[in-house]
Amino acid sequence: MEHARRRARQWLPAAVAVLATVAIVVTAPDESHAGSTARDVLDDQQLRIMAPASPGGGWDQTSREMQAGLRELIGRTEVYNVSGAGGTIGLSQFVRFDGDPTQLMATGLIMVGAVVANNAEHSLNDTTPLARLTTDYQVIVVPADSELTDMAGLSEAMRTDLPAVSIAGGSAGGAEHILAGLMAKAVGADPARVSYVAHSGGGEMLSTLLSGRSTIAISGLSEILPQIEAGSVRALAVSSPDRLDALPDVPTLRETGMDVELQNWRGVVAPAGISDEQERVLEELILDMTETESWRNALEARGWGDATLAGEEFEDFVRSEQDRVAQVLAEIGLG
Amino acid sequence: MLASAGFGAVMLVAAVLVIVDAVRLPETAEAVGPAAVPLPVGVLLGVVGAALLVQARTQFATAGASEAQPRAGLRVLGMVVALVAFALLLPLLGYVVTSAALFAASATLLGAPSLLRSVAYGWALAAIVFLVFDRLIGLSLPSGPWGF
Amino acid sequence: MDSFGLLLDGFAAAVTPEHLLWALIGVTIGTAVGVLPGVGPALTVALLLPITFRLTPESALIMFAGIYYGGMYGGSTTAILLNTPGESAAMITTLEGNKMARAGRAAAALATAALGSFVAATIGTVALTFVAPLVADFATSFGPPEYVALMAVAFVTVSALLGRSLLKGVASLLVGVTIGLIGIDSQTGQPRLTFGVDALLDGIDVVIVVIALFALSEAFGHLVTGTGGTTVQPLRERAVMSRSDLRRSWPAWLRGTAFGFPIGALPAGGAEVPTFLSYATEKKLSKHPEEFGHGAIEGVAGPEAANNAAAAGVLVPLLTIGLPTSATAAVILTAFQSYGLQPGPQLFSESGPLVWTLIASLYIGNIMLLVLNLPLAKVWARLLTIPAYGIYAGVLVFATLGTFAAGGTTVDLLVLVGLGLLGLLMRQGGIPVAPAVVGLILGPIAEQQLRRALTLSEGDPSILFSGAITIVLWVVVGIALVASIVLPVLRRRRDRETARTLAD
Repeated sequence: MEHARRRARQWLPAAVAVLATVAIVVTAPDESHAGSTARDVLDDQQLRIMAPASPGGGWDQTSREMQAGLRELIGRTEVYNVSGAGGTIGLSQFVRFDGDPTQLMATGLIMVGAVVANNAEHSLNDTTPLARLTTDYQVIVVPADSELTDMAGLSEAMRTDLPAVSIAGGSAGGAEHILAGLMAKAVGADPARVSYVAHSGGGEMLSTLLSGRSTIAISGLSEILPQIEAGSVRALAVSSPDRLDALPDVPTLRETGMDVELQNWRGVVAPAGISDEQERVLEELILDMTETESWRNALEARGWGDATLAGEEFEDFVRSEQDRVAQVLAEIGLG
Repeated sequence: MLASAGFGAVMLVAAVLVIVDAVRLPETAEAVGPAAVPLPVGVLLGVVGAALLVQARTQFATAGASEAQPRAGLRVLGMVVALVAFALLLPLLGYVVTSAALFAASATLLGAPSLLRSVAYGWALAAIVFLVFDRLIGLSLPSGPWGF
Repeated sequence: MDSFGLLLDGFAAAVTPEHLLWALIGVTIGTAVGVLPGVGPALTVALLLPITFRLTPESALIMFAGIYYGGMYGGSTTAILLNTPGESAAMITTLEGNKMARAGRAAAALATAALGSFVAATIGTVALTFVAPLVADFATSFGPPEYVALMAVAFVTVSALLGRSLLKGVASLLVGVTIGLIGIDSQTGQPRLTFGVDALLDGIDVVIVVIALFALSEAFGHLVTGTGGTTVQPLRERAVMSRSDLRRSWPAWLRGTAFGFPIGALPAGGAEVPTFLSYATEKKLSKHPEEFGHGAIEGVAGPEAANNAAAAGVLVPLLTIGLPTSATAAVILTAFQSYGLQPGPQLFSESGPLVWTLIASLYIGNIMLLVLNLPLAKVWARLLTIPAYGIYAGVLVFATLGTFAAGGTTVDLLVLVGLGLLGLLMRQGGIPVAPAVVGLILGPIAEQQLRRALTLSEGDPSILFSGAITIVLWVVVGIALVASIVLPVLRRRRDRETARTLAD
């Protein structure tokens, strides 16, 4: 009896090991959903999307909404996070997938800026840009009880004493910092003297603004819209080319006489070294994804602007953004 | 006491690194730049590290040498090798195999009597972790050519 | 209808068999991931989001609430049993909790953690239900100068953690602050102490440092001493908690809650800072100060209550102003948005019933966690009958998994090994490891907020003392400093006098 029990105990871990291994093999994901051309290119392998940021951020949301849209087209795809340093850590890992069409990565303006600011070894030139997907415009806001009521007052304040106008925003070298530099330049001040207070997220930025310690704040529209609607902050201007549907009464920067326009765009890239045929099929897959109901709903729910742009035009766009961002960041003193 | 002195030495090296690194940082427009905090931290590291060394020296003189354990160093070295091998082999051989190996290696180094049973326990643990986190929750763990 | 009536409606909606099942699944998953260092509720909810699209919004949010609270419970279990905090907010719990476990009091430590978590989370949820708008106002009045003062309060209390030798404690603290310097400086974008290694640009994750200094160095320590075959006696008493345990625990639970909830509601407060404050307070107020460092039950009860109350506090700015203040909150916000809900000032008026269902399910999840965890305390404690070689080999497997989940690169694993060796050196030299983690958490917040404040004021330091809240906090700093210098002197004098009277 005692002997039998001891023998059972000896074999238990081995039995569990075998059982669990069998379960792993049985539950191996099934790849047979893929559409025919996409399947040829993917060689029956699962598509993997890298979100080069931590869970909850913009790139993570973009990647996971893409995953939901792609589910309708090719079944299961996988999203994983490699966070840090404005996406440059993810980029440095992504370039190792040279020639592998089953790997995608979310990207955007912030990565373009971080590559310059961090003096990163790799840039988007080491990838194959597929498509731009979404855009989020920036809003310039002040606390509800601020003395500033319009952009004319703000421009004047920035022109007379730029360091006295403290600007709260996201990470150093990010979209808000770039816009702050562009605005300083537009009023004829030195962008290097911008008094920019960096924050690691929208939440922290909002708390500095609501505590009334900073003169203005710059934020992505989707993050700040609820606060504007609730009246806890006032919007002075938006960075879009035309007025936004969500804020019909708020002028664009151009309207107020500041010749500045900036969109925090997000898109998707594949590794460098894939064939033209593979690139074409992946682009089509992404474009089909933007037509799915799930993607359309996501744009609506998250307040993202649809900015679909693919092929040659997107590659030209990326190049012009790289030049513009590099110039502004050099003037701010980053890069 | 030797360890305390060693830690003091590590702090002195860290102090030099922190100060050298801070000095090389460029001037920026901010009222307080990126080097403002590292510099005093570096100085403090140096002061406290030196104090630890001095303290260890005086106590060393009174207490005499501590008992040496030659095998201990080897065991720690073995564990470090196992961990580094784990880090390097994980992307190649997948989670289950490398984790089971790490479990078996560390259990044996720590004094487990039977290698075979360690392997069985390690494999069972790693396989269950893989099942729960990769397959159920969807945290993708590295997999080898055999899919796990 | 008033809040109470709406809450009752919420309960009516939450107590369906289907919703209860999702709550149960949620708390179970949450406890499992909370136990694992590096895999926390944030990552889990993010991973499960795409799978939950087929569920109704109510079911999904109820499950996420369960994962969220469950994660906070799970973190303490490994901290007490294995000296390996499941997350950084459970770090303080190891100090007394693991000592209790080694003294055969594991079940009591687990029970006071579970009960304290329950009390704190319940009070926190009640506060969330009824005074959320007030707390939100308080939270948004915190700007950079206020945070600088709050960090000063936290640094003053660190002395309670430094251990017997001031020099060694400070050495540990400094090493933590130094590790916190690694990575891109967030104000200027300059890389510091990265030596050209890309993977270091984002700094070293707190989770990796905690795993290395606590778990890995412990495993190394067993290698050095050759004590891999030992086991501890897990249970000494018959009852889980004695009457005196309970009497000593409940004031600590309440004080921990009082620290945790408001600081958790602050946008940069976090769940760690209140645990430091709670530990320091309990040590000061305890009638058994000599037990601290050897397994004082207040030192488990207070910090555990504090981190769970902080978890409830985090929901205040999230629900009332749409402000996510932690990674988990950011992910829950994402979940809200994918169901077309926009947390913020209009949330209660626009999607009231759903929010009240969520709040009701927080209460339910909490009760479920207590029912699951309290009877399990003795079962968990029996884990300690496994010989050390089995426990530490298992800890290594989980530690490397956690490191991989936190960073995902080979460099992170190598950093883990390096820091583990540093931890071994500290252990051998009698240098406490907890202050290093405190320095790592507080250092970066203090530096960034200080520099933000001075940028806002164009370099004028008087901004640090502007505003009512800052002044109150600096007064607290002053009182704490005076108390830690004057009180020991007074106590010594009194002891001497008593000795003299006795001699007479």
